[in-house]
Amino acid sequence: MTSSPLLARLLRIEWLPLLAMAVAAIIVLALISSSFFSTYNLFVMLRILSVTSLVALSQMVTIAIGQMNLAVGAIGGLVAILFGAMLELYGVPIPLAVLAAVGVGLACGAINGWLIAWTRINGFIITLAMLSVFTGLNYGITKSIPFYNMPQALKSAYDSYLGPVPMILFIPVLAALGVGFILNFTRAGRHMLAMGGNPAAAELAGISISRTTIFTHVLSGGLAGLAGVVAVARLGTAEPTIGADWLLASFAAPVIGGAALAGGYVSVIGTMIAVVLVILLENGLLLARTNPFYVQFFLGALILLAVMFNQWRARRVAMRVTTRRVVSP
Amino acid sequence: MSALLAVNGVSKSYPGVRALDRVNLSLEAGEIHALVGENGAGKSSLIKILTGVIAPDEGEIVLGGAPMRFARPRESLAAGIAVVHQERNLIPRYSVAENMFLDRLPTRSGVVQHRQMQDDARRWLDVLELAVDPATPVRYLSVAQMQLVEIGRALSLQSKVLLLDEPTASITEHEVERLIGILRRLRDQGTAILFVSHKLEEVISLCDRITVLRDGQNTADARPLVGMSKDDIVTLMVGREAAVTELGERTATPGQCRLELSGVATAAGHEGIDLKVHAGEVVGLYGLVGAGRTELAKALLGAYPVTAGSVRVDGKPARIRNPLEALRRWRLGYVSEDRKGEGLILAHSVTRNTAITVWHRLRRAGGLIWGAIEKAYIRPLIERLDVRTPSLDQAVGNLSGGNQQKVSVAKWLAADTRILIIDEPTVGVDVRTKGYLHRLVWKLADEGTAVVLITSELAEMIQLADRIYVMNRYRVVGDIANSRDYDAMSGALMQIIQADNDRRVPPATAPENRGGKHV
Repeated sequence: MTSSPLLARLLRIEWLPLLAMAVAAIIVLALISSSFFSTYNLFVMLRILSVTSLVALSQMVTIAIGQMNLAVGAIGGLVAILFGAMLELYGVPIPLAVLAAVGVGLACGAINGWLIAWTRINGFIITLAMLSVFTGLNYGITKSIPFYNMPQALKSAYDSYLGPVPMILFIPVLAALGVGFILNFTRAGRHMLAMGGNPAAAELAGISISRTTIFTHVLSGGLAGLAGVVAVARLGTAEPTIGADWLLASFAAPVIGGAALAGGYVSVIGTMIAVVLVILLENGLLLARTNPFYVQFFLGALILLAVMFNQWRARRVAMRVTTRRVVSP
Repeated sequence: MSALLAVNGVSKSYPGVRALDRVNLSLEAGEIHALVGENGAGKSSLIKILTGVIAPDEGEIVLGGAPMRFARPRESLAAGIAVVHQERNLIPRYSVAENMFLDRLPTRSGVVQHRQMQDDARRWLDVLELAVDPATPVRYLSVAQMQLVEIGRALSLQSKVLLLDEPTASITEHEVERLIGILRRLRDQGTAILFVSHKLEEVISLCDRITVLRDGQNTADARPLVGMSKDDIVTLMVGREAAVTELGERTATPGQCRLELSGVATAAGHEGIDLKVHAGEVVGLYGLVGAGRTELAKALLGAYPVTAGSVRVDGKPARIRNPLEALRRWRLGYVSEDRKGEGLILAHSVTRNTAITVWHRLRRAGGLIWGAIEKAYIRPLIERLDVRTPSLDQAVGNLSGGNQQKVSVAKWLAADTRILIIDEPTVGVDVRTKGYLHRLVWKLADEGTAVVLITSELAEMIQLADRIYVMNRYRVVGDIANSRDYDAMSGALMQIIQADNDRRVPPATAPENRGGKHV
């Protein structure tokens, strides 16, 4: 092979090229725009990150078991307006409302998971149907009218600092750590990845496919619900349209992050860096005063490029691995 | 006679390794030529070169006197080389006929002529005596039937050269004999046949000449097989020092009855199954393809509901609804015949594949599993089974077939089962690994496990089992102690099956699985 062993070794760490891309993007953006590093702009990005990271993780866990959750945005939207209603109409204390709202997300996920496990119908179809069910409930309850009167305490909690660190930075970091912990150190996480890797082998080895499916969708629903709550705090209003545009990013980030769509492999770090990368792309286009309607175009191009790179990298790594086996049998 | 197909000094290197080193092979028209070697010796690379999957770095391929360069599989096929790959290459939802004629569907003005295609397919199925309707989607066939469909596809090409990579790995003795008959006929008609197999008895009885590879080099180049013994071949394959040792004697000391089936009927179609397996005993389930052996194992794991009769484990009535209950509650495990489809998670590490059955036991405070604990637990097993892997973090998909099989067995050793059903333990593994797995089966029994062995290889069954139940058409039709005398036992087993066949009118098609769910 022509490349140096160092490059080959680095290629094996799947998220490193992504990190390099993100760093490069930051350098380029800082060079072309003086306002990139402004506190205002950093906060704009951090605010987006606080929601999108949860959305990406919510989808990532279902990808881990080889399924998908098309209802991520619908759950987020439904949770958002119920959260808003609790605060505005019933004056529920914020911490209680947050818990109840996330509980709704968990319940929505439980319904998804239970339906998939019980009917054994493909998760794509079930979550597609539930997307419509949850969205319909959302619009039926709100008649498409947002809840505008969110308590000031919610907004200030969202914008508060813990020491020098903005509160909203904790959301993605804690969520990523939590999901990473579940996947790597708990039995449930092992079961998820084993099921994603080969459901037949996992089941024969004594793993319950039904339980794992339900657990995963509960987790996914909880994360989507949390994303809905954070979105309300971010916007200051509980809008019924929250979640309507989450689908693309929810798949883009895990896939750019190196997840195997068939299941069995996901990267929490990769997914998080991919979320940052997507935000940087959008931010860069904004700073460069590009026609904002082209954002989708560039996002699509980024997905294609990243996935093609991942495939190339995987082949390179596979080749070296094969070589190794033959050398030292 | 000049060679019809000659490989002259072909080498293939991957970065850092020489998979093939100036390898020669020469196939003559009208011969059956054996290609043998351990896993990783270079057979697969050689076949990939002959079929245009990979290109050689140096050396040449000469077909009918003309040098050839195959850039892709179509070109080698067009030149007259047909191949049956070791891996299944069928499209599950397509019919038997469509799978056979996929690359040359008969059409009239662009419309596929199904009737004609099925008639053509039936001709070849008849040759193989495979009683399935050509319109059946292949996903309803058993593994062995699929194998025969692939052979049928290769035969239907009527090529000058036929490459068979482990064609007998998953079919029964009876079908092997049929296949051998067909191959001899083709040979006599002038076809050049390359027969790749781990089963040396077959090689010796069937083939004319032999080419042996070891570590990518020829240790025999088209040597006549006349006068060669199995030991001679093994020595060529593995080197004199590593030649296989005999299994030796075994006296079973059965303990308590671990598994007892009485009058069991299942949704898969079994009827009146009576059998007993004791601790410390290796009990064989022998039968032809479609006899319902694997299905019985799966029924015990809950894939097909038991509709009548009783299943008892250690004397207690057991209603097992899924593999989870089988493992946790009844300590019953199943080593699948399909290691890639059901046995392993190929993209995952050796560690995870082995520890999968014991995560529930390895968790520490708060339900956590630490990689270090996991590895410490499985490392002795991986060492005991002599799994050759660069590290425990290696993806099992990158290991050789034999080592993959060891991993799929290792996870059941980890699980510490009291009843272990082992389905086709040595399909596609090399001689050394096979001997190893054979000793392991006995050792497990000696340690008190009740072992149920399912194998289509009669020699293996007679070598390993203490008692043999004969299955035929989803029933147990005989129960005999194993004398380990091959000739006597093979005769007796065949007689039992034949007698049962004579008693009943044969069904038009193979029994279909009814009410089964995916496991």
